[in-house]
This record gives sequence, C-alpha cells and structure tokens, in this order.
Amino acid sequence: MEAIASRRRRKILRLVWDAERSAGDIAAAFDISWPAVSQNLRVLKDTGLIQERRAGTHRYYRADQRALGPLEAVLRQMWTRDLGRLRDLAEQEARPRRPRHD
Amino acid sequence: MIEDLTGAIEITQRIEAPPEIVFAYLTDSRRFVKWMGVGAELDARPGGRYRIDVDGEHIARGEYQEVDPPHRLVMSWGWEGHPTVPPGSTTVEITLTPERGATVLRLRHLRLPDEGERRQHIEGWKLLTSQLAAVVAP
Repeated sequence: MEAIASRRRRKILRLVWDAERSAGDIAAAFDISWPAVSQNLRVLKDTGLIQERRAGTHRYYRADQRALGPLEAVLRQMWTRDLGRLRDLAEQEARPRRPRHD
Repeated sequence: MIEDLTGAIEITQRIEAPPEIVFAYLTDSRRFVKWMGVGAELDARPGGRYRIDVDGEHIARGEYQEVDPPHRLVMSWGWEGHPTVPPGSTTVEITLTPERGATVLRLRHLRLPDEGERRQHIEGWKLLTSQLAAVVAP
C-alpha cells in the first residue's frame, strides 16, 4: 500500500515539477478517486515539497525545487540509505544464524 | 591532512563483515542489485563499465578506474541524460579498511557540480525526484 502511495507521489511531483497545475489537471492524470489524489497532495504539501496556491475555488500546485536541497543532500541521502542496505546484507551473509546487534 | 571537500560528500559505514564479503556486494551484479537499483550489469575491472537501472526509469553508468579487491574501488559516475551529472562527470571512490573482523567502508562522491552550474540547469533535479520521493515516503 505504502509503495503504491509513494509511486503516486512521485508521479505528482513529476507533473508539477516545472509547471504549476490545477488540482483538476493532477486528478485527470490518475484513474483513482479525488480523495486519494488529494491525500497524496497533502502529504507532499506537508513536507514542503510542493506549494499550493488558491485562486477563488481553484487550487494550484507546483514543486518547490528549493525544498530538494542541494545535490549533496540528495546524494548523501541516496548513499546512506543504500549503504545501510548493503551493511545489512553483508552482515547477514557473514553471520547467517545470528541476528544483528546495533 | 588538509583536503578540499568542496563539491564532495563523504559517508562512513561500519559493517560487521569481512572486506571480502563487502567487496563482493560492491562488484558482483547479483549481490549488487540487492542493495541498489533494480538491475545492474557490472564489469568490475580497470577500464570495465557498469550500468545500473536505478528505479526502472533512471540509468546510472560509468567506468571502473581502480579495482583493488578487497580494498579499493574507484569509478566514474553519472546519470544518462542528466544535464549536470552526466556519465563520466563525477567520481565515486570507495575504500574498505579491515577492523577486528569488521569493515569500515568509506565512500566519497567527488567532483560534484558547483551550485552556480546547477542553477543554470535546475531541470537536472527532475532526474533525482525518485530518490527524493523515497525519502518523503513515511
């Protein structure tokens, strides 16, 4: 479930990356209900990755590229996460019958 | 030792496994995909090339410059189609130091483009959003 939600958020992020889009445009790109789209928009908004603009009854969204932080931060995140997985796998292989102790 | 780490990141990771096993996870395609990407073709010898399918959408590739099992691995790194970090543009250097049956892995990602260069090509960030989305997933 979470993986699906994460995939949907990725898609939203790509849609609004370099152009502001209305809530309707974003919803049209999915074949799921508006509440489901809206929920993912809210998560992205809460993390500061996208910004919402209201005009009358319409809502518009756009990615906040500054929130991504510098390239260093993104790469650091990627390597830290992946090397953590490498550590777990190598430790499992080195000691297959003993659980890991942190 | 004074070192200029501008345009670089460094990550150190202690692993309770001998360097031989850790090195195998870095260079053996079958083991590699268990921790990075969804597909990998690695030809880990000096001058050999690698190609990593990061997420089914973005491809990282480069060339091995130093392969010294089980101590050190240096390779060029970049993403296909990325305006500021294309293949060949940055360097990833990994050293493994044995420590009482464990391994201290140090990874340095060097020659990263500077901030000014990145501003001109902000579009390049798009390619990294999948990583980012993984970060935002609770």
